[in-house]
Amino acid sequence: MTAQPGTLPQAKPVKPRRTLFQRVFEPRDIKSLSPARLVLTYSVLIFWSFVVLFPLYWLLVTSFKLPIHVSDGPVYLPYVDFEPSGHAWHYIFFDLGNDTFRPYLNSLIIAFASTVLAVLFGSMAAYALARITYRPKIMTIAAFILILIAVVLSTVAAKVPWQISLAVGAALFVLFLLTLAKRFKRALGNNDILFWIISQRILPPVVAVLPIYVMFQQVGLLDTHFALIVVYMAVNLPIVVWLMRDFFATIPVDLEESAELDGASRFRIFLTIVMPLAKPGLAATFLLVLILSWNEYLLALFLSTADAQTMPLLVAAQNATRGPQWWYMSVLIVIMILPVIAMTALLQRFITRGLLIGAVKG
Amino acid sequence: MQVSLRDIRKSFGAIEVVKGLDLDVADGEFLVLLGPSGCGKTTALRMIAGLETASAGRIFLGDQDVTDVLPKYRDIAMVFQSYALYPHMTVEDNIGYPLYLRKVDKDERARAIREVAGKVDLLDYLDRYPRQLSGGQRQRVALARAMIRRPSLFLMDEPLSNLDAKLRGHMRTELKHLQNELGVTTIYVTHDQIEAMTLAHRVAIMKAGELQQLAPPREIYNDPANLFVAGFIGSPPMNFIEGAITGGSFSAEGTELASPGYADHNDVVAGCRAEDLTVVAAGSGEFQGTTYAIELTGNETLVTCEIGGSLVVVKMDKDYDEKIGTPIGVSLANRQVFFFDAASGARLRPNET
Repeated sequence: MTAQPGTLPQAKPVKPRRTLFQRVFEPRDIKSLSPARLVLTYSVLIFWSFVVLFPLYWLLVTSFKLPIHVSDGPVYLPYVDFEPSGHAWHYIFFDLGNDTFRPYLNSLIIAFASTVLAVLFGSMAAYALARITYRPKIMTIAAFILILIAVVLSTVAAKVPWQISLAVGAALFVLFLLTLAKRFKRALGNNDILFWIISQRILPPVVAVLPIYVMFQQVGLLDTHFALIVVYMAVNLPIVVWLMRDFFATIPVDLEESAELDGASRFRIFLTIVMPLAKPGLAATFLLVLILSWNEYLLALFLSTADAQTMPLLVAAQNATRGPQWWYMSVLIVIMILPVIAMTALLQRFITRGLLIGAVKG
Repeated sequence: MQVSLRDIRKSFGAIEVVKGLDLDVADGEFLVLLGPSGCGKTTALRMIAGLETASAGRIFLGDQDVTDVLPKYRDIAMVFQSYALYPHMTVEDNIGYPLYLRKVDKDERARAIREVAGKVDLLDYLDRYPRQLSGGQRQRVALARAMIRRPSLFLMDEPLSNLDAKLRGHMRTELKHLQNELGVTTIYVTHDQIEAMTLAHRVAIMKAGELQQLAPPREIYNDPANLFVAGFIGSPPMNFIEGAITGGSFSAEGTELASPGYADHNDVVAGCRAEDLTVVAAGSGEFQGTTYAIELTGNETLVTCEIGGSLVVVKMDKDYDEKIGTPIGVSLANRQVFFFDAASGARLRPNET
């Protein structure tokens, strides 16, 4: 039984002695600090903000420098150390023109589309893994892999037409499911599936990039938005599943059972109860995945050449035959971080704690 | 609606939690499932709701077999112990959610919400979120949400256990009134015997997954079916004295009780309630002993007496007082004594009375 606040006069708790760690890192209230400590606290905070923000500032001033100001060693203060010039901005926006805007648009389309899709499908998978018990049988998985290998071998080595080998393989697998599969009891659980999903991410992408390149070359989809969206989505799905499953697991099952009795279908529960409550997790995951896709370089390098080129490639391209063009790169990076900052500002209000208060506590 | 359970069972792995429960609940009846924690009462309720699948047995609502029907098609409303309010919706949306799912149009929904909110005194709180409500108010939101679509069956899983004692008494009264007014069949799970006795038309007492007795509260109290029911119901609990019946007479240490009509039996437990006993002068009465402790509870005095080896609680008037350790006699009014078999706990009844 929980006592209602206000019904019982509560004895004033004895103030526990705070540990050194608590006194340093968990101030009771910024206003209650003594002036000396207030000054100290703000000094530390300002110093650290400086450390964090200085690279951004450096980037910004570099974008207004002439090559001579860069090569002469570091200078930081416009109008004092050097005379700012808009030449790099002019070059990027007018001389390059469409060669800047096209990759910019490509990056926006590819990053947002792949992120939306990854978060959508990933959270569905994560929800299923959090709430439904799966028991995939080990022998069924083994049989599937064996039959798949047999199909590939018979197609490639024995030159069987792929339609026939695929049909035979599918028939064999169904036959196995209907007969022998019933005799095996050993099965995997949800955690095994989850680990398998995250294990796909343990493999460094550089190992898979050549096969992926060959695949898209074979189907003639190199240098398209579609190729990059699909690949980014696949690469980021494990992260979404892994993160979102933990968020879904914290939502009380009572809420979903209650909705079920109120007459909601599983999908409606997911949409009207689970997703709104998982907003903080969704926002955080969305940002993380967006930034990963936005900055992705390696896969874009292989899968795009001109039409689907993304911003990281354009930035890298400024380090060309004439040596690194820092001023152009700075301009590109400055305009490149703007959408991410905008998204963060937009989603920040969702990343709050305490959304579940009032759900199941008395 | 009428509810029938036919030999339902539930096992989690090797552990059988509900061991063949048979239950018939009449239309409009308020049935309370009562038992200590872990007795399977909540599991039984969840099987009726469809949140757990029964391992065996059939469940009928009316004349329809719903054993394999999804919860959303059973037309059941449930109030959870945790209330399970949707934290991201206002009180109004919480109450209206079942109607929203049934695509009831907006005006009709708003009207229905105001009607049930009025019944549970929530009209001033419709715009609030659950986190801005007190425990009692949350409880009423949960009730309103269950009531709004007029289900054919209410299920309640310890709905009052998160409230403080005073509020619980108040909500108990409200619940009983509302159930009577709506006339909806209700199955209510609790471990609190006061709730069970006050609310129920009939009480089903469970222990370790088995039904012990199913009867109206008065009968449960006055005519317990076995030792478990006798000891579980009543506060203070029934007094038990171990002994044997020989030749129509129960005898234990320092005690002799005429028990005409009972067959001879070794290992008997005699039970009598505190209010059927009276402390009298030493030498008279059926039992002889000394006072062990005297507790004034306000409207009565509980006198614990040491009789033979066992402690017997006697309920006396609030003015009674006596020194601890005084020899006294205890007399049994109305010959209200129950005999049970010590091994099986089964009630022993006289052959002919």
